[in-house]
Formats: sequence, structure tokens, C-alpha cells
Amino acid sequence: MEKSLAELNKAGSRSMSSLQPEPVDIMRSKTCFRRVRLNVGGLPHEVLWRTLDRLPRTRLGKLRDCNTHESLMEVCDDYNLEENEYFFDRHPGAFTSILNFYRTGKLHMMEEMCALSFSQELDYWGIDEIYLESCCQARYHQKKEQMNEELKREADNLKDRDGEEFDNTCCAEKRKKLWDLLEKPSSSVAAKILAIISILFIVLSTIALSLNTLPELQDTDEFGQSTDNPQLAHVEAVCIAWFTMEYLLRFLSSPNKWKFFKGPLNVIDLLAILPYYVTIFLTESNKSVLQFQNVRRVVQIFRIMRILRILKLARHSTGLQSLGFTLRRSYNELGLLILFLAMGIMIFSSLVFFAEKDEEDTKFKSIPASFWWATITMTTVGYGDIYPKTLLGKIVGGLCCIAGVLVIALPIPIIVNNFSEFYKEQKRQEKALKRREALDRAKRNGSIVSMNLKEAFARSAELMDVVVEKSERPHDNHLSPSRWKWTAKRATSETSSNRSFNAQELGSPSKARANSPQRLNVQKLEEMYNQMAKTQSQPNLNAKDRGTRVSKQRDEIELGAIQDHGPPVLGTREGVGDMKSLSSIDSYISCATDFQENTRFLQSPAMDLGLQEGNRLSHSPATAFSQRASARTGQQTTRECQPMLTPVSVTKPSYSDNARKFFFSGNSTKSLIPKGGCRSDGESGLSPLSDSSVLSDHSLLSPEVSIYTTASSRTPPKSPESTALAPTVFTFHDSSISKYIDADTDDDEHLRDISDASPSECLLAGNSPKRSININYQRGTNHLEAAQKMLGQNCLFPLEGIRGVAHENHVGHEMAHRPKVERGRQNTLDKSL
Amino acid sequence: MWTIPKPNYRRGFCAEGEIAVNIGGVRVVLFGDVLNRYPESRLAELVNCSTQNHEVISSLCDDFDPSRKEFYFDRDPDAFKCIIDVYYFDEIHIKNGICPICFIKEMEFWKIDQSVLDECCKSYLSEKEDELTEISNKVKVILEDMEVDQCITRAQRCQRFLWRLMEKPGSSLAARVIAISSFLSILVSAVVMCMGTIPELQVMDSEGKLVEHPTFEGIETVCMLWFTAEYLLRLASSPNKLHFALSFMNVIDFMAIIPFYVVLSLTYLGTTSMMELGNVQQAVQALRIMRIARIFKLARHSSGLQTLTYALKRSLKELGLLLMYMSVGIFVFSALAYTMEQSHPETLFKSIPQSFWWAIITMTTVGYGDIYPKTTLGKCNAAVSFLCGVIAIALPIHPIINNFVVFYNKQKVLETAAKHEVELMELKSGREARRKSRD
Repeated sequence: MEKSLAELNKAGSRSMSSLQPEPVDIMRSKTCFRRVRLNVGGLPHEVLWRTLDRLPRTRLGKLRDCNTHESLMEVCDDYNLEENEYFFDRHPGAFTSILNFYRTGKLHMMEEMCALSFSQELDYWGIDEIYLESCCQARYHQKKEQMNEELKREADNLKDRDGEEFDNTCCAEKRKKLWDLLEKPSSSVAAKILAIISILFIVLSTIALSLNTLPELQDTDEFGQSTDNPQLAHVEAVCIAWFTMEYLLRFLSSPNKWKFFKGPLNVIDLLAILPYYVTIFLTESNKSVLQFQNVRRVVQIFRIMRILRILKLARHSTGLQSLGFTLRRSYNELGLLILFLAMGIMIFSSLVFFAEKDEEDTKFKSIPASFWWATITMTTVGYGDIYPKTLLGKIVGGLCCIAGVLVIALPIPIIVNNFSEFYKEQKRQEKALKRREALDRAKRNGSIVSMNLKEAFARSAELMDVVVEKSERPHDNHLSPSRWKWTAKRATSETSSNRSFNAQELGSPSKARANSPQRLNVQKLEEMYNQMAKTQSQPNLNAKDRGTRVSKQRDEIELGAIQDHGPPVLGTREGVGDMKSLSSIDSYISCATDFQENTRFLQSPAMDLGLQEGNRLSHSPATAFSQRASARTGQQTTRECQPMLTPVSVTKPSYSDNARKFFFSGNSTKSLIPKGGCRSDGESGLSPLSDSSVLSDHSLLSPEVSIYTTASSRTPPKSPESTALAPTVFTFHDSSISKYIDADTDDDEHLRDISDASPSECLLAGNSPKRSININYQRGTNHLEAAQKMLGQNCLFPLEGIRGVAHENHVGHEMAHRPKVERGRQNTLDKSL
Repeated sequence: MWTIPKPNYRRGFCAEGEIAVNIGGVRVVLFGDVLNRYPESRLAELVNCSTQNHEVISSLCDDFDPSRKEFYFDRDPDAFKCIIDVYYFDEIHIKNGICPICFIKEMEFWKIDQSVLDECCKSYLSEKEDELTEISNKVKVILEDMEVDQCITRAQRCQRFLWRLMEKPGSSLAARVIAISSFLSILVSAVVMCMGTIPELQVMDSEGKLVEHPTFEGIETVCMLWFTAEYLLRLASSPNKLHFALSFMNVIDFMAIIPFYVVLSLTYLGTTSMMELGNVQQAVQALRIMRIARIFKLARHSSGLQTLTYALKRSLKELGLLLMYMSVGIFVFSALAYTMEQSHPETLFKSIPQSFWWAIITMTTVGYGDIYPKTTLGKCNAAVSFLCGVIAIALPIHPIINNFVVFYNKQKVLETAAKHEVELMELKSGREARRKSRD
């Protein structure tokens, strides 16, 4: 035991099953070394304890004060007392500059570092960004503000998209279709055609408008005044009718009427239509009235307003839209441009006035009169209607030209910059939109978990607060509303996994008793070893027992399969519902890469039927238990048969529906993903096959169980039994997202470590070659070949004692988290009753 | 990147003449004679002092492991890897990504002179340092504003109050109101100046000459009084009178005011017939032009204009280049045009100086059309001249624009940086105060 512990420590990983160091040991280690080794994401750093004490309230400063295992684990991700090394699973690049902050008191930022990720790192290490030195600070803030703005815009966009809900009134479905047809030209071919027709109408109406003013095409009315050509008037009427219809349809189908009315593009539309009606109204109502001339003038003004319809093209061109946006955003620079020009005009026109005013029949009669000359000269248009004649005037004119060129050229690059930035942004957003749609599709298929930027950001912002405040109130953090959501979700998923757990419990009641509740308690470590010893004595019996049961229940399932083919829909629904919540935890932990595997797995026919059977009868708890037991074993059998049955990945419609629902509801889960990226990479290496083989190996270590244990270790201390665990459990939520992943890592490590950790197993492994294969397999989990070999063995020797030992040990370990399991089951019972 | 050992990053125990140093977790074995190339540096001192003398050692390094003969330094290993280059190559390059200010601090710790820094990195460093000094200047200004009045005498306090009222529009509501009214008065006076020249709005005086409308003159006088009052108050409240009088903005203010009083005194002298009337009127005419200077007073209220002046000041060289290109072009093309147009009987190009005007108007692409070439050759010349003009203007303008844009953007960044710096200082002083109170 001692030896294996030492080995473990050397390997740098700490197993849950190993002895947790006493506070005395930690204190001793801290006093005998002046320095400490910090391993951040694989890069070793060495630093004096003294240096870390300079900022006692930060994470590294707290490391010094932590004397218990729990508090240490709260601060760092892993540690090794003998090597005096503490491991943090963070980005190593940023840490260099952060450690330098401790050393020199100056916080600088690596140039290549992204400001946003640096700010996240700063939050993790508990350092306020205000300490950043001014030389790096400017860059940091600029980047951050830019990023925040972008995120805000994206969030707004999302909100807009979310806001388009047609649930309140009648024929929502039709209205949505209409809305898509009119507003989203890319949504369908019909919409595209409609957009093109609309563009054609705009172009046609503008051409008609211009042709109308040609004297050859104009008619004369009774007053001798020229009026519109009747043919062109018809064209105009048709165009206006089309525009009106379009506007009205848009208005009717819009989900939010007031927002629609306010939108700039719709205001333009309205302005393009209204003048026509106003003109008609005025001419009709004033036909008899005498002051026809006045009305005429008003009508003329409204005619001019018809030109606004050319702006309707903006709806169909992103370029025009971004031009408008740019002008809106760079009004500061535009103002500057106008100010420069105005000043130049003022100065040069007065100069030229004083230079030219004594000239014979000069055109520079006053300063306002020479404004025109100055404008035309500064913009280098130069009509030549006014030009200076004296020498002084010509010198002023020459200076005016050059100054004009300069003054106009200066602010324009800033505006251009704004425009190009916005344009780029627009294009990027379009791409992002497409990507998101693709992601949505993928999510529906259940293969990827989306990276929801907005939520990730909000999430991390919230977590930052938590990290900062953690030292003050570690227990209160779960009160934040979003976390309540989490717990709720966890609870539901718990119950669902409990159901499957029940089956196990029924299957081996002795085990449940042997592994009594609060074994995880640090003080009861010895007890644990006793238990482990106890469980070792039982394996053969249990294994045999199970073996027979398996074969029995296999028959049962076959029966059930035949019987239950009738009402499958409900059953699958429920089963899938289970899956959904299960996978919600799953994705929580390992970014749902195995989610797909699980689902696939569940799709294998026998399994499905088993679940159906189990779920169909779930309203009567007593029977449900037994049925579930069979379902459970059904799973087991399927898993064992898995290599023979190729994993079926036919997704049923009901399932995909549910899965999508999960993705909608599980937003908070999704937000965890970015940080867990590396983790999911690791997991994705597992093929579904190997996954299933793990399950068949540790018959109790089905994904549900392992997931469940992690989940339960995170449940809030609502029940009295778990109070002993509460503080540590909580810090898991609080400290940061990565902890969740850590929790998972630890459990995964069990899978591997269990074989090394328990001495009895090592002994046995020495005896049997199969076991050694088994261990091998566990180490390199995705070693498919080994897995298959082993599976073959499993099928051949279901009663093999060694295997029994293996999973008994494991069970001994996993049962540590039983208390909450039981509580969870009670919940389920209550519910079902 | 750390696991790949360079030749000089050897592991294992060191032989005679070598020392092992551990810089923040990275172990390096170094040769003593190499380190002695810079005897003043910290590492050379470490080599030269005996290992027995613990006091000296502890003053030089942070920790010493006697069993491994390893000196530990609690410093940044990344920066050290760059600094160690000085012993081998006699020059240092700042690794990309390390902030140069931070790097200089490291160099100071290792007691290596800044002069060994290579030129390429020095320019980078100086850039950053310039930025820092600018920030610190801004910070100084902000701190001065925030400074609690320590003036003892009443007069000083009054002066300070007045100064803030006149110079810092953001300090109080009254100051803002004063700034806005001053801005408006500039606009009004400029408008009045322009309107006064419109013949329809002018009135005949006793001698049958058109003079400005009396209401315009009244407004003009009021504005002038306001400007004068403003200038005097500023002058009175300024802590350093000479500095105030010579600063650019105040010179403009002065120039805007003084013509009014000169005209006033001249007319007084003219009416009292101490001077000849014609001379007086000429002088008055000349001084009227100087009224235009008041438009520059707007610069005080617009940061954009200040940026423009700064950019122009910074790019005087480019402006000179622009003028030179233009003048060369004007000379060449006007001479060419003159000679080519000689053949035409009704030529508009009567002399070379006269065709300068044509050349300017053509090269700047204004083209009034008062003078234009009539022969084919002359037309070809005109086409070439405006092409050259476009290029001659576009080339030197680019750096000017660049200066402007860079300065414009920097202005924004510096503003936030200075604010942040003040915050940081407050935070640090607050922490210190807390520490003191704890002690």
C-alpha cells in the first residue's frame, strides 16, 4: 500500500482512493521548503513562498494558508507534497506574467496574449485587472471594450432572433412563414424571388420618376401646366401598390409591431409610400378650392420625397446598410470634417474678400458671397463661375486648394477605417450566423454541443464574481438564480439515473450494505479499507449470482420485447427522456462527446426494448423496480453483446426531438463547454465500442453510475446525511467551471487507478493474464483491440472471479457517494407515488 | 518550449568554474569565465564571491541550496533567457511579447547596462517610454485638478478657483456654462463679421461710404468685450504669467482681441486729426483682416482641431515636401505650357508668372476654366500636369494623414490610460494607508 502510494505520488497524480494527507503533513511540507514548485498547465515554475505572501488575498496567496486537503484542492487542481509541487490546470502562457506580478509588483501582459483570455486568467488567479501597468493597460482595455461591444451586439442579435416568436396570436405558423418569406431572402427560393421582384419594382419606379420630368413625355393639363404622362402614372400606381402591399404584409406578419414600426428600414418604406397618398389626397380634396397654387407647391414637395424610395434598396444590400451604420457611428469624425471645412471656408473666403474687394466688377461682393467660391475651391470642384483676379487673390486661391485637399483628406481615413471594420464585422457575422445554423443542425443530430458565446460570457462573468467573493461566503453562492437552475436540473437528472441505480441495488443488496454511507469522510479511511477487504471476500458469490440472473433476465427481456412491441412510442419517449437528462450531466462533465456514444448505444434494439419495458410501468414503483432490474441487466447483456451487434446509430425522430429539447433547456450546461474543451478532446478519442466495453467490464460502472457519482458529489447539502461532505462539495461549484471538469477527471482516474491502487487486484493481476489485459485496457481506454479481446473473454467467462474482484473494488469505491443516491431515490419514489 | 535544452542550459551537477542557477524553476549551468565578461553584473559577482560567505550570497540571490550548489533567483525565467545572451553575443534582444518596460526592470535586477540593448529593440523601448511619459503628464494634470487646495491665502484660493472656472470646463457647471458661452460668442462674432460685408446690409455713413450696420457693430463690441474679459481673467488666474502669455492658444486669443482696440485707437487718433485720415483708413482695413484670427479660437473647444494642429506641427517636413513637389511642378508645367501656347495667336498664357496660376489650378484638379490651353500640345501638357499634380499631392499627404490618424487614436487611448493610472495610484495609496494603520 505504502509503495503504491509513493508510486502514485511520483506519477504526480493523486487518487481519491489513496490516503489524503493530514494537515500536519501539509504544514510540514510547507515549512521545510522555502520554495514551491508550481506546475501550471505543464510548465514548472519555482517561486519562494515569501514572494507569494505579497498578495495574500489572491489564489496563490491562499495556497500558503491552506493546511487541509480540502482547502488545498479548492485552491489548486492537484498537488504532490513530496515533490512540493502544486498543479494548476490553466494556461501556462499567462501565468508567467502573473507570477512576475508577485515578483516585481508590476503586472504586464504578454503581447501575443488575447486580452479576453488574459482577463479570465486574472480572474482565476484572483488578481484585479486594475493592477495592469499603463504601458500594457491601454491595449488591454481597448481590446476588452471592443470585445464587450461585439459580444453585446451578438447578444442583441440573439435576442432579436429569440424575440421572433409567434406564439401569442392566431395563425402563428402562417405568420411566421410569411415573415420568413418577406424578411429573409435566403430562407427559401420563393423568398429570394420575392426580393428580386421587389428590387425590380424599386428600380422601375425610380426610372419612371426620372422619365416623368422629361418635357417631351409630359402632358399639359387644363391650367396649361405640365403634368405626368398617363402611362408613367400607371406605372407609378402599380409600383406604389406593390410597395404598400409589401409594407402591410410585413407589418401584419411582424412579431413585434412597435419594433417593426420603429425600424429604420421600415420608416424608409413608409416614407416612400406616403407621399403618393398624400398627393392624391391633397389634389382630390382641393380640386374646387381656389388656392390651387399653394396646394401645387406642397404637392411638388411631396413629389420630391418620392426619391426616398431609392433608399429602399438598402434593405437588399448589406453594403448600403453598413454605409448607413458607419455614418452613424463616425458622426464624431464627420463633425470634425465639417468643422475643418467650415473653418477653411470661413478663413479663405474672408481672405479672398479682402484681397479682391477693390477690383472692378468683382464677384467677391461680400464674405458670404465668397463662401461659394471657397467651397468649390476647397473641394477642388472649380466651376469657374467665380475666380480671383488679383495676385493676392490668386495666392490665397492656391493656398485654399492645397489646404482643401489636406483638410478633406485628414478625417476621411478614420471614417474609412470605421467602415471597413464594420463591413468586415458584418461579413463575419454572416459567417457566424451560418456557422450557428450548421451547429444547430448538428445539435439536432446530437453530435456536437454548441459554443454559445453569449452565455459563456455571462457565465464566466458570474463566476468571476463568485471567485472573488468566495472567501467571504462559500456557502451562499448556490443561491444565485442560475445556479438554482443547475441544481434543479441536476436533481432531475439524478432521479433518472437513480432509477437505473436502483436496479443495481436490487441486484446486489449485500454490497449496498457493505458500503455504508459516509465513507468518504477523511477520518473513516481505515473503515474504507476494511470494507474493501470485506467486499473482496464476496465476489465469487456475487458474480455467480449475477451470471444466472443475467441469463434469466435475458429471457425475460425477450419476452418483454415481443409483448411490448405494441405501444412503443410512449416507452421510447420516456426512455429518451431519461437519456436526455442523463446526457445533460454527461455533457456537463465531458462536453457531451460521449453523449452521442451513449445514445447510439441506447439505440441498439435490445436496449431500447429494455428501457421501454422499464419505463412503461414506471407508475407503479414496486413493479418498476423489478422491471428496472431487468432493464438494467438488459443493458448489461446488450453491452456484452455489443461487439457482435454493430452499434446502431439510427436516430429515431422522437429521440432527436428530445435531444434538441435538451440542448435548448441545457443552456447553462452549454456554457461550461469552452473551458472543458481539452477535456472533450480527450474523451472524443473513445470510440463507442470501447465505451461499451468499459461498461461490460465493470458491470456496475456504467456511464450512468460514474456520471452519477460526480453528479451526486455536487448536490447541495439539503439532506442531513451529506452535511459532512458539504463544504468540499460546495467549493466544487464555487471555485470555477474547471472544477466540474476536475470532478470528472478524478472519477475517470478511478477507472484507471483502481487497478493500480488496490493491492489485492495487483496480486490477482499477476496471477491471471486476462486481468493484465484488462488493466492494460483500462490504461489506454481507447485501445480498441484490447477491448475487443477482453469483451470476448467476458462473453466466454461471465463468471470469472477475477473480473468480479475488479468490479467489486470499483463498486466499493463508487458506493462512497451512496448517501445522496439513496436520497435521490427517495425523491423518485415520492414522485412516482 | 522549456523542455528543449539549449547548449547552455545543461542539467546535472556543475564542475569547477561553473555555477548552477535556478531562475524561477528553470535550472541553468553557466561558465564562470563567460559570466566574467561583465564583471559588474549580478551573476559575475555571484561567481566571484566565495560560497562560504552566506551574507553576500543571500544579498545576491534569493536562496541557496548547498547540497546541489544551486543559486535560486525568484525572477522571470523568460526574460533571463534573453538577458543571458549578453554574455555570449554582447547584445540583448527583447523577446517578442515581453513588455519592454518590464524587461528593463529585469535587466536592472541582473545589473546589466541598458546600453547593451540592441538598436532594434531600443526604438521599441523608447516608443513605449514616450507613451508612458505622455501618460504621466496627463496623470499630473489630472492629479493637479484633483489636488485639495493647499493655498493658505485667500487671494491664492481665489486665483485657483478662477483658474478652474476658466480653464477646466469639466470641473463645474459654471465652468461649463462659461465655456459654452465663449464658444457661442466666437460663432456669433464670426457670423457678424461675415454679414457685415454684405452690401445690402450696410449703411451709408456721412461721407457716402458703405460702413457696417450699427447693430452689427454693437454685437461686435459686446463680443470683443467678452473676449477681453475672458483673456484678462485667464491671465489673472494663471499661476505662471509669462508661460501663459506665450502659449499658442493665448497668442491666438490676443491676436483676436488686439485689432479691435487698435482700430478703436486709430479712429480716435484719426478723428482728432493727429494722423492723416487716409493712412488711418488703410491701417484699419489691414487690421480688419486680422479679425479672422478669432476663428482659430475655436481650437480651444475642439480636441479635433488641436489634433489637427498637432499633426500639422509633427509633419512639417512632409508639408514642406508637399509644397516643394507642388512648386517644382508649377514651375515646370507653367513654363512648358507657356512655350507650347506661344504658337496660338489668342493665347491666354501671356507670361510664365501668369501661367503659374493655371498650373496650380490644374495640378490641384480645381480647374476654373479662366485660363486653358488651346493648342494640342498644350492640352497634352495639361493632362500630364494634372496627373503629376495628383501624384505630387497624394504622396506627401499620406504620412500627414497617418500622423493625424495615429495621434487621433492615441489621444483616445491615452485618455483612458491616464484615468486608469490615477485609479491605480489611488488604490495603491489606499492599500499603503491600510497597511500603515494595521501596523
